[in-house]
Amino acid sequence: MSSMFIKDDDFSAFVTTMIEAGPVYGPVAKRSRFIFERLESPEELRLDYDVTILPPKKLFFPPAQDLIRFDADEFKSAIDPEEKVLLGVHFYDVKGLDQTDLLYSERNFDSSYMANRQTTTIVASNIQNVSDRAFFASVGAGVPAKGHDAFLTSITGGYVFEPLTERGEALLKHGAFVAATDAQVAEAEKVNAEALTKCKEKHEHSAEDIAAKVAAAFDNEDLWSELAEDCFSCGSCNTVCPTCYCFDVQDTWNVDAVSGQRTRYWDACLTADFAQVSLGEGATENFRGSRGERFRHRFMRKSVYLNDKLGQPACVGCGRCSAACTADIADPVRVIDRIMAS
Amino acid sequence: MSHQCHWTEAVDLFLPREAKIVKTAQPTELEKHFTLQMIDGEPVDFQPGQIMELGLLGYGEIPIGFASSPTNPETFDVVVRSVGRVSKAINQLEAGDTLQMRGPLGHGFDLDKLRGHDVLIVAGGIGLCPTRSLINYILDRRDEFNRFVLFYGTREPCLQLFTDDLACWRGMEDVEYFETVDQGDPSWTGNVGVITTLFPKVELGPETRAVICGPPVFYKFVVRELDGIGVPHENIFVDLERRMKCGVGKCGHCQINDKYTCVDGPVFAYSEVEDLGEAF
Amino acid sequence: MGKPKVAFFDFACCEGCQIEMTNYGAEPFLELLNHVEIVEFREAMTEKTTEPIDIAFIEGSFTRECDRARLEEIRERAAIVIAYGQCATTGGINALKNHQDDYKEYVYGTDSDMPHLDSQKAYGVDAAIKVDYYAYGCPVNKYEVLQIVLHLLHGKEPVIPNYPVCVECKRRETVCRFLEGDHCMGMVARAGCTAPCPAAGIPCEACRGFVDDPNIPALEKVLVEQAGFTPQRAHEKGRMFTANALEATS
Repeated sequence: MSSMFIKDDDFSAFVTTMIEAGPVYGPVAKRSRFIFERLESPEELRLDYDVTILPPKKLFFPPAQDLIRFDADEFKSAIDPEEKVLLGVHFYDVKGLDQTDLLYSERNFDSSYMANRQTTTIVASNIQNVSDRAFFASVGAGVPAKGHDAFLTSITGGYVFEPLTERGEALLKHGAFVAATDAQVAEAEKVNAEALTKCKEKHEHSAEDIAAKVAAAFDNEDLWSELAEDCFSCGSCNTVCPTCYCFDVQDTWNVDAVSGQRTRYWDACLTADFAQVSLGEGATENFRGSRGERFRHRFMRKSVYLNDKLGQPACVGCGRCSAACTADIADPVRVIDRIMAS
Repeated sequence: MSHQCHWTEAVDLFLPREAKIVKTAQPTELEKHFTLQMIDGEPVDFQPGQIMELGLLGYGEIPIGFASSPTNPETFDVVVRSVGRVSKAINQLEAGDTLQMRGPLGHGFDLDKLRGHDVLIVAGGIGLCPTRSLINYILDRRDEFNRFVLFYGTREPCLQLFTDDLACWRGMEDVEYFETVDQGDPSWTGNVGVITTLFPKVELGPETRAVICGPPVFYKFVVRELDGIGVPHENIFVDLERRMKCGVGKCGHCQINDKYTCVDGPVFAYSEVEDLGEAF
Repeated sequence: MGKPKVAFFDFACCEGCQIEMTNYGAEPFLELLNHVEIVEFREAMTEKTTEPIDIAFIEGSFTRECDRARLEEIRERAAIVIAYGQCATTGGINALKNHQDDYKEYVYGTDSDMPHLDSQKAYGVDAAIKVDYYAYGCPVNKYEVLQIVLHLLHGKEPVIPNYPVCVECKRRETVCRFLEGDHCMGMVARAGCTAPCPAAGIPCEACRGFVDDPNIPALEKVLVEQAGFTPQRAHEKGRMFTANALEATS
C-alpha cells in the first residue's frame, strides 16, 4: 500500500469526519500530562504529546473489566467490544500492544481482551517530543513495531499517512489524501529516525547480556533487597507498564442483591498480597513475601523470562515506570546498570 | 494483527459450565467432599492431577484438583477446604444445589510414565485430594502398574481425609499403605512423626516413580529421602499449589519464575522445577 | 426470615460517616432498605432499640473508659460488629492527642476541668471489643460500605484493599502530586476510596490508615528528598489519621 499525504489545513476535517463516523480515541492533555481519551473534537488531539500516563492497553483491557454478568436466572459473557479508531500511538506502545496480543492469544485465546483489540483500528504516529525518562531507542531496537493499521508522520506542511492494513486504508475515505511524493516519504523516514536519537536514557548493554546477568543475579538476595529498600509495594511500575497484564478477579453484587458481575481488575506483582494464599484457620503463605523477591520478579519478567517467546525483552523503553515511581527506584536503565555492575 | 483466531469464533475462557451436586460428605470440620455432575450432560474429560476453577456466582472461583478417578466419567469429586470467601460459600451447599466450573485445566500426571513401574505416592494433608484421583485410577487399573506404595501424613488423626478410603486401603493386599501423624491422640495407635519417618518402613528401588503432593514445606524433605533411594528427578512428580485466579495462564498470580502453575502444571517433573528459585 | 436488622452507634467522632449513609441519593438508599431494616440511626430517625441486631456499625473512637460498658453491651447483642469510619478503626484524627499532654486546655480552654471531658488515649473500638470488619476512611467510602453490606447479606467476607492509593490514582490516570511539586502519602495509604483527593489536586492524607506493611522509612525519605519537608515534619506527617499505627512502627 502506498503512502499518502494530507495537508495540515485538511487534517482537522479528517479527524472530525472520523469522529462523526464512530468513536475515536487519541492523546489529550490532562493537567501537566497526557492521557488517551475519547475525542470530542479535533482540537483536543495532542499529537505533540511526549508520553501518556497510562499506555493504550487500557482501551483493550480496562482497569476494571467485567468478564461475566449474572442475575437470578442466568449468567452470560460480558464481551461486548466497541468498533473504534485509536489515533496517535507511539511505536513503543504499539510494541507493547503487540506483545500483549501474543501473550493474550497464545495457549488460551483471551476473547475479553482480543475482542476489543480486533475491533480497533490503530493509527500509530511519530514521536514529536521525547519524555525525560524514555529509553525506547536502546531496548528491542532490532524488532520493528507491528500490529498497527497505519502510521502517521508529521512533516513540513502536513502528514504522511502510511496504510498498513485494509482497516488502515479504509480511513483514507475520511480525509483529503493525495499520494505522498518520494520527498515526503523520505522526510517522514528521517523524522522517525531522528526521534530515536533523542532519548536521554539508554541501556549500555545488549538484551542478551542483560538477560544473562539478571538471571545470574537471581540468588543475590542482598542485591535485590538493596534495590527494593525504598519500595512502597505500590505497584505503580506495574500499573503504568504497557507490557504488564496481570489481574485479580472479584465478584460483586448490584444493589438489588441478586444480580452482579465477575470483574477482572489490574493487579500488580509488586503489591504485598499478590502471591499470598490462605491456608485456613487464619494461616497464610506468601510465595513472594519480601519486597526484594517482588522487585526481582518484575526484573526477571521484563528482562529474562519472556525474551525467547517475544524475541525481545518485555519492556519497550517508554519510561513510564521510572516517572511513576515515587521513590524513583524503578528506572530499568538505572536498575540494570546496577545489576550489571554487581 | 498476527494472531489469527477471531474473537467471534473463540470460546470465552471465563464462561463457566454448570454442575449439580449429587452427593456431599463432611470428612473433617473444614473439608467437604462433593460429587458433581455436569448439567449439560457433557462429561468432563480430565486426567488425574488436572485442576478446575470451581465457582459460585457472586462469590468467585477457586482452583481445585479433581479428587476422583476419570475411570468414572459420569461424575467427578472435589474436596473443598474452607479457607476463604469462595470455599466457605461452596461448603454451605448441599446435594441438589448447582455451582459452576471451568475445566479441566493444566497438566496432570503423565500416566504413561507411571505405567509398568513401581509407584510411590507421598501425600500430606489436603494433598491427598488431587492424588486421590491418581490413587483411584491406579486401583481401577491395578494390573497396569507394578508395586503401589502410598504414604499419607497429617498433623493430627482427626485431620485425615477420606477415612472410608483409608480403611479400605489399609486392608488391601496390593496396596502398601503407610500413614503417620505429626501428633497423636489417645485413640491413635499408628506411627507418630513427620512424613519422612515412613520411608524406613518399606524397601524401594531407584526405578520407582514417585508422586509428591503436600504443604509447601513438604517437598524438599521428601525429595531428600528419594535422593537417598536414588530415584532420578525426572521420575519424581510434584503437584504444586499457588495463588491462582484465571486458571488459563493470564492473570500471573501462580507464576513460579517463568512457569505458570495453572497451565504448565500443577503437576511438574521435579527436574523441571528444582532449579527454579521460587519453587520450593 | 425477616430482613437483617442494622443499627448505627457513635462514640468519639463527628458522626460524619453516618451522614455519608444519607448521601447515596434516594434510589440506592431505598433499594438498600429492601434488604435491611435500620433499627437505630440517630442521624436519620428517632427510634432506638435494645433488641438483638444483625449488623452494628460503630462510629467513633474508644477514648473514655466509661464507654467500655456500652461497647460491650452492643457487642453482646450484635451478630456482626463493623468499626465504621477511621475514628472507630484506628482512632483516627482523635489519636492526634495521644502525643500531646496539653490538648484539653488547648481545645476546651477554661471549660477543660469539666468531668465529662476527661478522656484517655484514643483508640479504635477494637481496643475494647472484638471487631469483625473494618470500614475505613474519613469519611467512609459509602459505595464500599454498600459492598460490605451486600457481601454480608450473602454471608461473604467483605473485600477490603491492602494495596496503596497509588494503585487507584494510576488506574484513573491522576497526575501524581509529586510530579506537580507537591507531597502525598498515597504510597503507604490504604486504598478503597478510589483516590478522589489527588484527582482533585489535593495530597492523600492516608485517611483510611496505612496498608498492612507500610514502608515508613521510605515515606519519610521521599517527603524530605522530593517534597522538601524537614525530617521532623516528614516524621510527624503520617500522624494525622494513623497516629497509633506510627506509634507501633516507630
